[in-house]
Amino acid sequence: MLRIRFDKFRLMELLAPVLGFLAALVVLLIITMIVGETPGNTIRAILKFTVSNASRLASVFSVAIPLFLSGLAVAIAFRAGVFNIGVEGQYFIGGLVGALAGIYLPLPKVIHLPVVVLAAMAGGALWAAIPAVLKITKGIHEVISTIMFNNIALALVNFLVNGPLSGRGEQSLEPQTRRILSTALFGKLNHWFQAIGLNVPNHVYLDYTLIVAIIMGILAYVLLFRLRFGFEIRAVGTSIDVSHYAGIRVKTVQLGVFLISGAVAGLIGMQEIFAIRGYYTFQIASGLGFDGIAIALIGRNSPIGVIFSAILFAFLKQAGYGLQLYTSVPNSIIYIITGLMIIFIVIINEIVTRYIRALRKKEAA
Amino acid sequence: MDFSIILDFLFKGLEISGPIAFAALGAVFCERSGVINIALEGFMAVTTFTIVWGSIVFQSIWMGLLVAIVTGVIISLILAVATITYRVNQIVSGVAINIMAVGIGRFLSQNIFNQETQSQLNPYLFPTVFGINSFAFALIPITAICWFVLFRTRFGLRLRAVGENPEAADTLGINVYLMRYSGVMLSGVMCGLAAAVLYPAKWINGMTGGRGFIALAAMIFGRWHPVGAVLAALLFGYADTFRIMFETKIPIPSQFVQMLPYVLAILVLVGMMGKAKAPAADGKPYEPGE
Repeated sequence: MLRIRFDKFRLMELLAPVLGFLAALVVLLIITMIVGETPGNTIRAILKFTVSNASRLASVFSVAIPLFLSGLAVAIAFRAGVFNIGVEGQYFIGGLVGALAGIYLPLPKVIHLPVVVLAAMAGGALWAAIPAVLKITKGIHEVISTIMFNNIALALVNFLVNGPLSGRGEQSLEPQTRRILSTALFGKLNHWFQAIGLNVPNHVYLDYTLIVAIIMGILAYVLLFRLRFGFEIRAVGTSIDVSHYAGIRVKTVQLGVFLISGAVAGLIGMQEIFAIRGYYTFQIASGLGFDGIAIALIGRNSPIGVIFSAILFAFLKQAGYGLQLYTSVPNSIIYIITGLMIIFIVIINEIVTRYIRALRKKEAA
Repeated sequence: MDFSIILDFLFKGLEISGPIAFAALGAVFCERSGVINIALEGFMAVTTFTIVWGSIVFQSIWMGLLVAIVTGVIISLILAVATITYRVNQIVSGVAINIMAVGIGRFLSQNIFNQETQSQLNPYLFPTVFGINSFAFALIPITAICWFVLFRTRFGLRLRAVGENPEAADTLGINVYLMRYSGVMLSGVMCGLAAAVLYPAKWINGMTGGRGFIALAAMIFGRWHPVGAVLAALLFGYADTFRIMFETKIPIPSQFVQMLPYVLAILVLVGMMGKAKAPAADGKPYEPGE
């Protein structure tokens, strides 16, 4: 009996993202109608660019990989109540450090690949370390400091790529580093999928970052739910005061979780740098760090939930390109819809939580 | 040094500080009422567009300003409804609005000006005085008004009360929600004023360039006090003016000069800590007892 009741509440909690998504979709259709597209056209354009064939569908999953890593990075920190808004800067720095290891370390492939991954993680953790230390020693709120560090990171990589690390003249006029050695480049896994009968076309990037993402997801799960440190992380996230009384060293946990979050964040740019471009530039896709905040939230800060919300976000991104291509609705509408969806989801979540609380009270009475 | 360059620097600095200062004033009202606002950047992304649009449509910068204020209030209401009525996490709501705001500017521009990244030129402007947008001078009286409202009126006292101790304020019959809605909406108004100084001649995608976040740092540096926040905004603004006017004459790479305001913000925060205290209930949703 109790079991069934638990499941009922659980189901209601899962309802919020679905309802939020649907509400955002309705707004999207209304706006596109105002602009002069029929709802049918809009939906057709979205579906055509996202799920109409294997190539499109695989692209959604490809786009979801960095988004998953971003959501995971934010989620881990958030579990301890740490708001890592600095994922943005951390992946720009992490990607650069990883790329440097890929450019300047002549290593055999089996060693080189893990080395660049670890280097990217180290770079991300390093960039997270400064706001982390400022938080635990000086009490500076991480939301403010990481926003500043994002801007500093962008200017820094811009300087480095234009200046000391420039590979300009070598192959391009666009500011970029030298090419990454072939031993460190990420190959594609498409033939694996083809081998098991999934028709993933060769132009889609399902590359080694997929393996990295899976490993990170598993490690994060083990960390959060199987290790003592993970328990401490969740305890600190629930109540700092109670954790103090329980003898948990809150500041150590906050520092640790900030560094882990930064390390995961360092991996976000790897797909673009190591699989797609083969060199580093400050013009790699930006904004993924902010997407990660929403992805973590919608995925309820769980590694498994983040998988689904990352795919949802990838779907939305691709849907935007579909609208751009097949209708008169500009791609920018997706930003509006994404923002609205987040607001809808968190509000519906709150309403559901209140409703559940009221129900529980009634049942207890 | 040439005297005219110094004068030029002083006036230019006021104009460049203006948007940061207005946004910081908005942040003061918002946070004094107990709501953390990291969506200032998003508010400004919208108002910088609507002031250009409104001015062109109504052929008057004053109407443009009104449109900017109204749209600033509308978008601030999203934050207010989410964080006050539904007690949703304030940082998350702010991030969502920032994401949304980028899209709003680009979407409207595409539909109105047929260009996604910039508007057409707006010829209806405030008169130029001493070589700068004259609306920048409004900062001085408006700062004084903000101080007066916050510290010398019943409204200001109530606003501060709900930011410090909403339970006690509620017990005394103050409408906590109303006060917090006012605080958030005032930050929307201020972002409308910020747009009037930033660059009402044209909207360009991304023109706010992080000023909303710098404004937040200025507010903290100014210890949640309107005059302090404006002085801190002037510090950031004049640092930026120095960069713009002398960038080519400084023998260090421009990217390091661009980092200056952010590094300055970090240093300022490091130097400040322990001395500044946020309103006690800042960031905490208020849940009325049953």
